[in-house]
Amino acid sequence: MKFKNKLSAILASVVLMASACDSFLDVNENPNNPEDAPISGLMTNSTYETALNIFRGGSATSNYVQYLASPNPGSSSDIMDPSDFSGTWFSLYNVMTDLDVIIKKSEENGANHYKGAAQILMALNLGMTVDFFGDVPFSQSFNFETVTPAYDDDQELYRRVLELLDEGIANLQGQTSISMGNDDFIYQGNVANWIKFGNTLKARFLLHTKGTSAYSESELLAAVNAGFTSSNDDASVSFFEQRFNPWAQVAINNSNLLLGGWISEQFVEALDGTSYPTVDPRLPLMIGTTDEGEFVGTVNGAGRGNAPEQGARSTLIPGQFYTSTQSPILIATFAELKFIEAEAALQNDRARAYSAYLAGIEAHMDMLGVADAEKASYLADPSVSMGAANLTLADIMKEKWVALFLHPETWNDARRFDYSYKNMTLPENLNPDLNGQYIRRLAYPDSEVSRNGDNVPSVTLLDRIWWNQ
Amino acid sequence: MKNSYKSALLFLIGFLACISLYAQQTVSGIVTAKEDGAPLPGVSIVIQGTSTGVVSDIDGKYSISVPNTQAVLVFSFIGFETQRVPVGNRSTLDVSLATETSNLDEFIVTAFGISQEKKALGYAAQSINADEITKTRQPNVVNALQGQVAGVQVTNSGGAPGQSARIIIRGINSLDPSADNQPLFVVDGVPVDNSTIESNGTPRGMSNRIADINPNDIESMSVLKGAAATALYGVRAANGAVIITTKKGKSGQIRVDFNSSLGFDNLAKLPELQDQFGQGFSGVRNDSSFWPSWGANIAEENDPNYVYQDNWNRAFNTGMQFDNSLSVSGGNEVATFYGSFGRLDQEGIIPFSTWDRTSAKLSGTVKASEKFNFSGSFNYTNSGGNRVPHDRFLERMMYWSETTDVRDYINPDGTMKTYGNTNPIYDARFATYEDNVNRIIGNINLNYSPTEWLTFSYRLGMDNYSDSRTEITPGPMGIDGEVPLSSTGFLEETRINSRDITSNFYITLKKQWNSDWNTSLRLGNDVFERKFDRVTATGTNFVIPGFYNLNNTTQIFASQGKSIRRLVGFYGDLMVDYKNFLFLNITGRNDISSTLPKNNNSFFYPSVNLGYVFSENFDLPSWVTFGKLRASWAQVGKDTNPHILGATFVSPGVFPLNGQVGFSRNSTFGDPNLRPETTTSVEFGTQFAFFNNRASLDVTYYKSNAADQIIPVPISDATGFSSYITNAGEIENRGFEIVLGGTPIERGDFRWDVTANLTTNQNEIKAIREGIDQIVVGSQFGYAGSRVTMILKEGQAYGNIYGSSYIRPGAPEGTEELNRDLPVLIGANGFPVRTGNQLILGNAVPKFFGGLRNNFSYKGLEFSFLIDFRAGLEQYDQFGNFLSAFGKQKDSERRNDFVVFPGILADGSQNTKEVWLGQGVGPDGVNYGAGYWRNYYRTTSENFVKDASFIKLRNVTLAYNLQPNLLERTPFRTARISVAANNIILYTPWDGFDPESFSAGAGGNAVGFTGLGFPGVQSLFFTLNLGL
Repeated sequence: MKFKNKLSAILASVVLMASACDSFLDVNENPNNPEDAPISGLMTNSTYETALNIFRGGSATSNYVQYLASPNPGSSSDIMDPSDFSGTWFSLYNVMTDLDVIIKKSEENGANHYKGAAQILMALNLGMTVDFFGDVPFSQSFNFETVTPAYDDDQELYRRVLELLDEGIANLQGQTSISMGNDDFIYQGNVANWIKFGNTLKARFLLHTKGTSAYSESELLAAVNAGFTSSNDDASVSFFEQRFNPWAQVAINNSNLLLGGWISEQFVEALDGTSYPTVDPRLPLMIGTTDEGEFVGTVNGAGRGNAPEQGARSTLIPGQFYTSTQSPILIATFAELKFIEAEAALQNDRARAYSAYLAGIEAHMDMLGVADAEKASYLADPSVSMGAANLTLADIMKEKWVALFLHPETWNDARRFDYSYKNMTLPENLNPDLNGQYIRRLAYPDSEVSRNGDNVPSVTLLDRIWWNQ
Repeated sequence: MKNSYKSALLFLIGFLACISLYAQQTVSGIVTAKEDGAPLPGVSIVIQGTSTGVVSDIDGKYSISVPNTQAVLVFSFIGFETQRVPVGNRSTLDVSLATETSNLDEFIVTAFGISQEKKALGYAAQSINADEITKTRQPNVVNALQGQVAGVQVTNSGGAPGQSARIIIRGINSLDPSADNQPLFVVDGVPVDNSTIESNGTPRGMSNRIADINPNDIESMSVLKGAAATALYGVRAANGAVIITTKKGKSGQIRVDFNSSLGFDNLAKLPELQDQFGQGFSGVRNDSSFWPSWGANIAEENDPNYVYQDNWNRAFNTGMQFDNSLSVSGGNEVATFYGSFGRLDQEGIIPFSTWDRTSAKLSGTVKASEKFNFSGSFNYTNSGGNRVPHDRFLERMMYWSETTDVRDYINPDGTMKTYGNTNPIYDARFATYEDNVNRIIGNINLNYSPTEWLTFSYRLGMDNYSDSRTEITPGPMGIDGEVPLSSTGFLEETRINSRDITSNFYITLKKQWNSDWNTSLRLGNDVFERKFDRVTATGTNFVIPGFYNLNNTTQIFASQGKSIRRLVGFYGDLMVDYKNFLFLNITGRNDISSTLPKNNNSFFYPSVNLGYVFSENFDLPSWVTFGKLRASWAQVGKDTNPHILGATFVSPGVFPLNGQVGFSRNSTFGDPNLRPETTTSVEFGTQFAFFNNRASLDVTYYKSNAADQIIPVPISDATGFSSYITNAGEIENRGFEIVLGGTPIERGDFRWDVTANLTTNQNEIKAIREGIDQIVVGSQFGYAGSRVTMILKEGQAYGNIYGSSYIRPGAPEGTEELNRDLPVLIGANGFPVRTGNQLILGNAVPKFFGGLRNNFSYKGLEFSFLIDFRAGLEQYDQFGNFLSAFGKQKDSERRNDFVVFPGILADGSQNTKEVWLGQGVGPDGVNYGAGYWRNYYRTTSENFVKDASFIKLRNVTLAYNLQPNLLERTPFRTARISVAANNIILYTPWDGFDPESFSAGAGGNAVGFTGLGFPGVQSLFFTLNLGL
């Protein structure tokens, strides 16, 4: 029967459909994101994002250390209100996640240099996270055995940071199956510099522990000796035509009246001869002037008062050392290392401390391109070259504060130094919960409070992290 | 393999097309009302057991072809009793219908566009007709459902032109914060896309895609609520389905209908604002201050340059919409057609917000023979507009000085006129985001009945759209002293292409075994595919100012997102009818989805439902006209989104840099062992009609459990991922739906009809997967620790809002819920002490909602109103948080007062300390810093989580239909003029903008966060309908 034929044809086509199903439905492979990525691509992003993490940290803390001040009164960054740093937290862990992948992958294929560099960057990002927040998750991170990782003790984590640096240096000193190249945005594959960088970071983190029983001066000075030998070794990422330096962007925005990057009165007065006897020749190379060519800062927490948006206050301006579109973000510098050395040696080797102190100033001035004559005249001033016998921690801290402009490391210094920079005062409209004291840590981010709330330690902004007790 | 599938389909189509034609018999007649003998236009005449039918014309005349002399014609019309008349050998069949008040015997369009007698349904379903749809003049058909259907909650995401509206049936069924809990939309038997794709950056209030459908083309909408009603549509209808039937041509004279409507929108509600203090800080006037209203007392200042500008009333325009549509329809016994054009132009209340829609539709049916008929339709829509950054607009309004005219926003050279802050109107005008959607929806239906008991049906549907979006933020013009919107400028070109194809083949077997038993079996195969591709190119830093082309930017980044999802389903549906009072329906379906892991991607789910019309068996009191019981049990499976399994890597958009492409691990991890979700629902209902159908009552109890929910659980970034997609939990929804109808008065030409519906909903998170303590649905910013988060925890209800609060010493240890009745702890400084501990401050899911419609008619005059309400919910008022940060709320007029905060001190004694509310040093010599509102009020979430209930006059309409004696003197068949008003808030304790607007678009579940979204509007419409 004709009809039966038709019916069986239909049934046949239904069967055909069913058998075709398997391949018809096999379309779920991700067309947008690959399942694997090369370690070189991961290194590119990790070096780039680490530099941005330095910027993010600097951006979070520059008002606390009074490099910058808000043009608006009562701004939360000035008055040390609790702010939500979920974004910064994510960025820190995002880089650490990728570094963990690099470490595991390079272990499998013997790419020891990648592994070593990744360990150094891991130490840096983890150390920064601890310095901001204190106890943070790490030992239960990245292995995905729990979605609510426990918080590790901050002192324990410091041990891990130093271990990672030692392991990283050792791996970089060994053989590798694959060498780094232009995928490394920090050193373009220069392994010797990576080793110095590892040692410099070791010195930085050891210095944080100075007030604790874990501190070893000899270990620190050994790291200094193996660290940067000149500013040519500095760890930095230069920015791109395609992507401007983020501080440059702040300056460009401000020049277009999207306000930001206003300089604290504290910083201006430290360099313009008000707080200290000398006028610092670096000032015009770091920040802009008013329309009248003067340096006028903004009082933290007070806002700009009746001053207009432009022309009456010093701000970051485009095109200077820190604010050119392709300026580097400095991760660690020779200048910083010299000040670390100065502080470490101050107690037992004043001569070494003093010469390191002067070398630190000089390195920073050279970096900015201060004219030789101006540099010489500044260094000749008795308030600067007070001699080894008269050198104090305050002198070192002040010069380090200037040399690490916009760098988050300064907040660590400030907390260790109890914010006792000369003439530094609490911001106006200070957060009343701080009871007239300076902020000692960042609040845990909202994202952690809502996602991992049971593990988040209960702390106030006045609770100090382990090395700052 | 794919080809063989396609060729099989082609074969099928070809096969079905080659059927010979048969002759048929035509019956015609006139339908009149029994009461007065007047002809009845609009009566539906359907051949029993088929979906074939016609409608009587203005004179009550009809004409229909019937297959044979055994055919039975069913005459039905709202307000009249349905009659079934066997045709026999007659060619003329005049029928007079008796009035009834309830429409219990009404047919309802269910799955696959099959018209079913409501009486036979074992589950709750409700429909609304064309009249009720177009009465509110809503350009978006989703809004037309507002308050009209029990169990259906429609929420406007805001009042922007074309902005999405969200529809939820019987509560939120998914724990997935980003899950689209909305029902499947089906137009003429073919599912269509109703997704909302928000903009990448600041929210722009994009449309849900069903907005592309012209409501004037719709004949009726049925809402299928439970899983029972939707088992046949499979996974995509797990949240219910809205079945839209479009208008069809009717045999007889050619008809031309013209509708024109002009509407005006205004801000529905404004928060209470202070008007006493101007720009500045600490009570000091400063005309260039960032702070818009912490300055001096305006009256004391007494300066014409420092006066309150009433910006909030003046920043918004009167919105306008102009909607015109023209349709032509007609046909004969063999073929019918319907064609329409529609054009809607809309301007929103935020300046420069626009949306327009142009639509054209052509559909036709051909009855080639008694055995073979086919139909098809083609719908083209072009829609889009300029989507203003509404969230940012209100944020900038917030920052804008209350003593500077916001309307005076532009300098003669085109730069922004400002004292420093960005002017919201300038931003709305120049920071544009335009979308342009071209969409084609088409379908073809073929039905072949080789014998009386067997029908083969095939439907092929396509829904294809391209969405082309351009976002422009101008950079500096290079004019001295200008304040640009961006220092580099920004251009983003987005191209979205989406194509849905649905193929559905089914066989229907019908058998009348004897006079008692009647069965119908349907077996089918359903295939769905969605291909989606989105390409975005972003350029920044314009070389030539004002020339907006990617070639003119120095920094260009591109990204692409593609997806493909395929589903294959096989299903069966058996209906058994015993003596027309007992109805049993059993369904089963197996779906295979491309999105799940291969070993878990096939899943079967059954359903069974029973309807029992007991009034036909028992002797009930004479005032009970009709009584029925319903019960159903159903399961439905659900798959997930495509391409989410496993861990992947992404290349961040910033690369390449220096020729290097970086990679980073994707922060989302999809469980490789994902299983399909299963929702099991149980429903019991009863339906009564009383007093000869003058009153009716329908009560339904429902309970649904959605288990193995696939949820992207936000997890600690420290794990290496931020989001983990897994089978994470189970949610239960239960409640009652009550529909009450009646005709309290019917006397002569006067008639009053009432319909009321009420829905209750309770839900509970039954389980969350081990290892996950809680699921964060969403969170919204609040200043200085007042951020709120919607968190799901086992044993709690969906929608709890967590945030910071004032310390209440009497609260039991470990309590999670804030008890606002306890006294607040007051600190030594005299101010309340806050805690960052996250407590439940409220719940955002309404416990009750419903509507009440009243229709009055007298001759040609009609008056109707629809009231809807919701109650038992709280929302976070972000707007209030901002107001208190900027000193704009009414309450801040107290800023120079001293108060004693009620509460207790740490030692338990009552607080008696007097404090000043202002900023800086108070009259008492104490320095109060930034002041009470900034330091103690805005920092605490509990101040902003508030009751968001409302009662709204959703619609009130007054219409006049020209009477026949007048119409005779005009060329028109019908003429109607009406005036309608929408969305008039009658009552709400909420003191922000319209509490109905929420921040997330229609796609998201974080409904508890209102605030800076496009404020809701109220509207007034004038409409003219003419028929030729």
